Amino acid sequence: MSPYVFTLLIFNLGLGTTMTFASSHWLLAWMGLEINTLAIIPLMTRQHHPRAVEATTKYFLTQATAAALILFASTSNAWLTGEWAINQMSHPLATSTIMLALALKLGLAPVHFWMPEVIQGLDLTTGLVLSTWQKLAPFALLLQVSSTVNPLILTLIGLLSTLIGGWGGLNQTQLRKILAYSSIAHLGWMVLIIQFSPPLATLSLLIYIIMTTSAFLTFKLTSSTTMNALATSWTKSPMMTSLATLILLSLAGLPPLTGFMPKWLILQELVKQDLPMLAFFAAMTALLSLYFYLRLCYTVALTSSPNTITMLTPWRLNPTQTSPLNPLTTMLTLALLPLTPAILALVIY
Amino acid sequence: MTYLVSLFLLGLIFGLVAVASNPAPYFAALGLVIAAGAGCGVLVGHGGSFLSLVLFLIYLGGMLVVFAYSAALAAEPFPETWGDRSVLVYVLFYILGVMVVVGWFWGGWHEACWVAIDELKELVVLRGDVSGVALMYSSGGGLLMLCAWVLLLTLFVVLELTRGLNRGTVRAI
Amino acid sequence: MTPVHFSFTAAFTLGLMGLAFHRTHLLSALICLEGMMLSLFIALSLWTLQLESTAFSTAPMLLLAFSACEASAGLALLVATARTHGTDRLQNLNLLQC
Repeated sequence: MSPYVFTLLIFNLGLGTTMTFASSHWLLAWMGLEINTLAIIPLMTRQHHPRAVEATTKYFLTQATAAALILFASTSNAWLTGEWAINQMSHPLATSTIMLALALKLGLAPVHFWMPEVIQGLDLTTGLVLSTWQKLAPFALLLQVSSTVNPLILTLIGLLSTLIGGWGGLNQTQLRKILAYSSIAHLGWMVLIIQFSPPLATLSLLIYIIMTTSAFLTFKLTSSTTMNALATSWTKSPMMTSLATLILLSLAGLPPLTGFMPKWLILQELVKQDLPMLAFFAAMTALLSLYFYLRLCYTVALTSSPNTITMLTPWRLNPTQTSPLNPLTTMLTLALLPLTPAILALVIY
Repeated sequence: MTYLVSLFLLGLIFGLVAVASNPAPYFAALGLVIAAGAGCGVLVGHGGSFLSLVLFLIYLGGMLVVFAYSAALAAEPFPETWGDRSVLVYVLFYILGVMVVVGWFWGGWHEACWVAIDELKELVVLRGDVSGVALMYSSGGGLLMLCAWVLLLTLFVVLELTRGLNRGTVRAI
Repeated sequence: MTPVHFSFTAAFTLGLMGLAFHRTHLLSALICLEGMMLSLFIALSLWTLQLESTAFSTAPMLLLAFSACEASAGLALLVATARTHGTDRLQNLNLLQC
């Protein structure tokens, strides 16, 4: 791909998301989403591998359907109430349809099936873009409509997402699919809390983006896409491999690490809203996710896999797939928890 | 006129039934052309003659490209039409579904609902939609520029997706 | 719900059901997407015409331009999948299954 075209596409990727952020009219928001989808498509097929093309086709079909559904629901809302503004939706049918369409765009539970397959077909960098930047525009819309959507639908989608995200990842050996299921589970937590505290949902998204960025970039550093490859990644970069364990535990949400913060605050908020059973079930589904993260940690850190002498040589070579972002996000992933009071003071209260 | 517009609305629904019932793409494109034609009729009936013209020229013109694709890809010796058993089941299923929903709403449709809005006006030369579309060149200029930009972007997208002789695994030649 | 509202809603829902439930060819899926866009065009135009808010009648034109972009990207993907998978049948898009 020519660097000019690459720059153009990256620029348009930003343009689409920014348009969706800035718009208050559904038509403009829809246009932003369309520009976003159009710009990511050639970036996804950059390798022109059959798997990449297949993933792109599936991504295109789901995103185009979701965008059309969003515009249809907002048009219905305009027909019934005469209102086009995003945060003024009032008809229950339209808001429910929009919620479903946004769930399809984000890859939330009843309509999540495209997500693992699409991530599996892409290289790690594009997968990273897909699971972070591409979530921003639909999430901004979700934040604006969340106060009008039926709370039961939001709760069901959120709980189902955390459950499916944990359950689906159990049987996977492919790292990208595991990361996709982890994305589904994390977004489920955000949807659970979005009706009670939108700033908390945004904070969770931010922290999820930081954590998943460091996970993707670390896997990219060691060029590992399966659990097998992870088992010998200590020969390539021993330091990052030991940190990868901690990154995975942070994604799982264990206490001394950053990933604990959103789970902690969300559970606290749910209990504060007098929904202890919901908090209980959400915490239980997080255990399912914890299982596959722990299995990855076990492969990375606690096993010494049988290997031949040639597999041990990569330590002689300098890693080529480095990224300047990786040290920063890794540090944030591991050590942001002590800043929780400051973040709370700045963001939530 | 009311009768005609109702007929066109019916044509729109039946066109989409013809598309949705999973025939060969060749015939699905034909169903879409029928639906687009009926949609033009609906728009004319409601007084949007310019929008109807745009739909007819641009949408059907664009449809022609898809139609050419489907004609080129209709490799099957016996493409499925709506008369085939597998498709016919879906056609009947969808028509039945639409009729059930129509029956659900039937009581709420008073006589006045059926009157197309154009019948209530006198004969006018300048239509509202013409002047509305003309706004695209004055106050809506930003959106026009955006549209042009997106069309340019699409050109690059399409070129990047289909570029390269050595790409892909299966080659015809 | 007026008959007009019902008609384009039914048309969109039919297109969506066709896209969701049974597709053998990728081209059929794209045609269903086009059908959904057609019903959206008619919906936006009729909203403009019935409410006499003529300033909004640029919206259907913009929708048409964007749906043309979407359709052309879809057709380019059709070409790309036909190159890599040898056919446009959606059954053959099974490289990424679990």
